[in-house]
Amino acid sequence: MINGVNNNLGIGIGGVGGGKTSGPTSGASFADTLKNSIQEVSRLQQDASKAVEDLATGKTEDVTGVMTAMEKSDLAFKTLLAIRAKLMDAYEEIKNISV
Amino acid sequence: MFDALDMGASGLLAQRTRLDTIAANIANANTTHDASGRVNPYRRRFVVFAPGHPNKPGSPGVRVADVRTDASPLPKRFEPGHPDADAQGYVSYPNVDLSIEYVNALEASRAYEANVSMMEVSKAMINASLRLIA
Amino acid sequence: MFVDRLLNQGNAPLLEQMLRFTAARHRLIAENVVNVDTPEYRQKDLSVEKFQAMLRSRVERRRDAGDGADVRPFDGLEAEIETPKSGLLFHDGNNRSMEQLMADQAKNAMMHNLAVELLRKQFQAMELALKERVS
Repeated sequence: MINGVNNNLGIGIGGVGGGKTSGPTSGASFADTLKNSIQEVSRLQQDASKAVEDLATGKTEDVTGVMTAMEKSDLAFKTLLAIRAKLMDAYEEIKNISV
Repeated sequence: MFDALDMGASGLLAQRTRLDTIAANIANANTTHDASGRVNPYRRRFVVFAPGHPNKPGSPGVRVADVRTDASPLPKRFEPGHPDADAQGYVSYPNVDLSIEYVNALEASRAYEANVSMMEVSKAMINASLRLIA
Repeated sequence: MFVDRLLNQGNAPLLEQMLRFTAARHRLIAENVVNVDTPEYRQKDLSVEKFQAMLRSRVERRRDAGDGADVRPFDGLEAEIETPKSGLLFHDGNNRSMEQLMADQAKNAMMHNLAVELLRKQFQAMELALKERVS
């Protein structure tokens, strides 16, 4: 799931990052920020997956913890998806600017 | 998981049959004549359960295997003036002890409720599984 | 081949096995409740601890195998019906315990509903990724 998003966003990052290298860079580039965010979402999903595994195999009885982890990873994923949608829309708009 | 509902239904039927038998016992607690009018005191009846569904042999469940008559001795009371008294003046009464019947009825109704709650839980689980698609 | 891999990633196969287990256990508990007054009937059960231990070993096997793991690591899980020796043996040969049965039934139903909800969440997330739009 996260690999599919990564591939799609890879196009976005490549496009935006390519544009950014020609301009002035201030601190961490946008591409780096985005890459970190994807890694964070991936980490949250792995945490949620591990929590569900622990609950199913009986290592923990903390149901609320598992539910919270699932919800967090779900929201993080949806946030990333929304950011990607906005980036794609912006890219389409830029692409359609007639020179 | 649907056969949990079939099993519950067989349990409900078995417990209701048991309750009917107990009700017949209580109703006839003082009957000294039988249907044809002769002096033949009513004897207590009880049900015997066995595993296995009544309508689908081989499926799990419970069924009423037998309705047996209690062969314990009939209590006798000394009533020389009673029309049903025997030569020594004793009248035989049914071997139905009301307190035992009441306790059995309580137990049967508790088992009935347990069956009902089990069927409710089965329905809830099946509905939860259906929501996987919705 | 890769569709199989995609659909069986994460916790979906684990939760599917859990659902199979809770459904089978529910059947057994239902049979016990129905036969609570049957003489000479011994209560049957599926051991939760053994099932969880089996799951744990499969999970570790999957984790150790890394990317070369087989696509369906949780297939072939079987549990056997046991007759626990616990509980008082009544005069009619039945070792019922209505309280234990009700507690087991409630806990089993909750495990089942939990697994259903988690599985649903997983499939929903996959559908969201396919749709590429948040709403």
